[in-house]
Amino acid sequence: MTVTSRTTYQPEMVELADDGPEAMLELLAERGLGDGLPVVPPAAERVDAMLATAEGDPDEVLFTLQPRAGIVTRRVVAINAVLAGCLPETFPVVLTALRALARPEVNLRGVNATTHPVAPMVLVHGRIAEAAGFHAGVGAFGPGNRANATVGRAVRLAMLHVAGALPGSGDAATHGQPAKYTFCAAENLAESPWESYALSRGVDAPSAVTVHCGEGPHNVHDAEAAGDPALILDKIASAMTSLGQNNAPISQAEYFIVLGPEHARSLADRGLTRGDVSSYLFDHARLPLGVLKRHFAERAWQQWMHIVSDDDHLMPMTGDADNIRVVVVGGPGKHSLVVPSWGVTRSVTLPVEG
Amino acid sequence: MTLVYLPDSEPGPESVALAPSPPTLAGLRVAVLDNGKPNADVVMTAAAEALARRTGATVSVITKKGPRGESANAAVPCDPDIFATVVAEADLVITGAADCGSCTAYSVTDAIEFEKVGRPAVVATTTHFETVARTLSSSFGLPDTRLLVLPHPIGGTDAATLTAWAEAATDRLIALFTGAGAS
Repeated sequence: MTVTSRTTYQPEMVELADDGPEAMLELLAERGLGDGLPVVPPAAERVDAMLATAEGDPDEVLFTLQPRAGIVTRRVVAINAVLAGCLPETFPVVLTALRALARPEVNLRGVNATTHPVAPMVLVHGRIAEAAGFHAGVGAFGPGNRANATVGRAVRLAMLHVAGALPGSGDAATHGQPAKYTFCAAENLAESPWESYALSRGVDAPSAVTVHCGEGPHNVHDAEAAGDPALILDKIASAMTSLGQNNAPISQAEYFIVLGPEHARSLADRGLTRGDVSSYLFDHARLPLGVLKRHFAERAWQQWMHIVSDDDHLMPMTGDADNIRVVVVGGPGKHSLVVPSWGVTRSVTLPVEG
Repeated sequence: MTLVYLPDSEPGPESVALAPSPPTLAGLRVAVLDNGKPNADVVMTAAAEALARRTGATVSVITKKGPRGESANAAVPCDPDIFATVVAEADLVITGAADCGSCTAYSVTDAIEFEKVGRPAVVATTTHFETVARTLSSSFGLPDTRLLVLPHPIGGTDAATLTAWAEAATDRLIALFTGAGAS
């Protein structure tokens, strides 16, 4: 991967006619920057207030973001967090999300450049979710909560401004998608029957952040499953077997199964663990080999899948049950979400650090 | 008046140089590195064969870029063993097809890696992805990446048309390899 040999970087400042939103929006538009929505002008005092929540040299080069190999410092992240309207207490989440996206297994070079409508989903776990006002309940992925909305937006602004994911040049997404504006929520640990998702991935920290680069959520509605959790899981499996998803030809791809608390409770009441849910879905989200071969001449599959020859054999939608990740988010109601993957990318969970 | 920061930081890629361009192509060996995109093999093989007929070069390798030269994933770099084979058995590389976003990113990535080890490499892209290919070339440190811009789309176009497109592009392909014309 391309890296920079710089150790520090000081961002440029320019003069604006005034501190109002119109002048700042015009400046961004002239330079082909921004997400099209009004922003908060990143004057020095606002950026400094953001940086007050971070430890370490604000101008230390931390990593770069692909495809542009844009330089990331704490100050660069703070500037974009101010633009997005973030409160300073949420800044460590933005920084940790970007740290995660810079990891090689995310393959941000491909994630940002692809024609597929992929956007990073940011999930916030643990103490900071509550302390910084993130929302895990009803409408968690929707509008109305400042922390969720602005942190997701800050991540997108960093993709546009630093990673170079500008539509038509560094981002070739055929349609884009609404989740490219903002896509962030907290895990609803208070109503989850299981341990924290971060802990289940081996991240034992007071606060953590997960990023998963996938499509927008696909809904699963099941109000009929009282007493029979298989009905919930079979509907989720149905949502996982769409031939239009990149998961179909790419077997290392993950799914995020975002269970509503009511569905999660129905499953746990029958004794199912998080791992049981993944195993059931691995076993039931399947399509015949012949169907997959007909639709995909090239299949980026695990080797064991390539040697199956019976066209009637039911093939799993992903090569390993562990690729099916289960997390609880949302409020009352009989809905859950499936978030498929772009494909050649892995989710990352990191402890929150400044 | 008020002072504000600009949010776009700076790109930090290491600068890369093109491999030296051979003055003539006679006797040189050409590899076709196929990323598995539909019809990539058809159009790039036709281009390589047309180049060989015109110049006296030979087509020495036609392979997919995945492990063992088999099923390729267009959104990751070329398999290291296949990369080594191409370097050992060819002097020039045609890679692609760069006719989507992530496959363009990684076709350009592969081409740059070949240029670094002295193998001039042309990326077969299309009119609809030329801007993406040029932006990514600059992002990755080699704005002068050799791009052969073909009509769009490659996937879904019949073989006879693709062959005609490839043959019509032979002069440009020769110029890209010999450094005789700007890409």
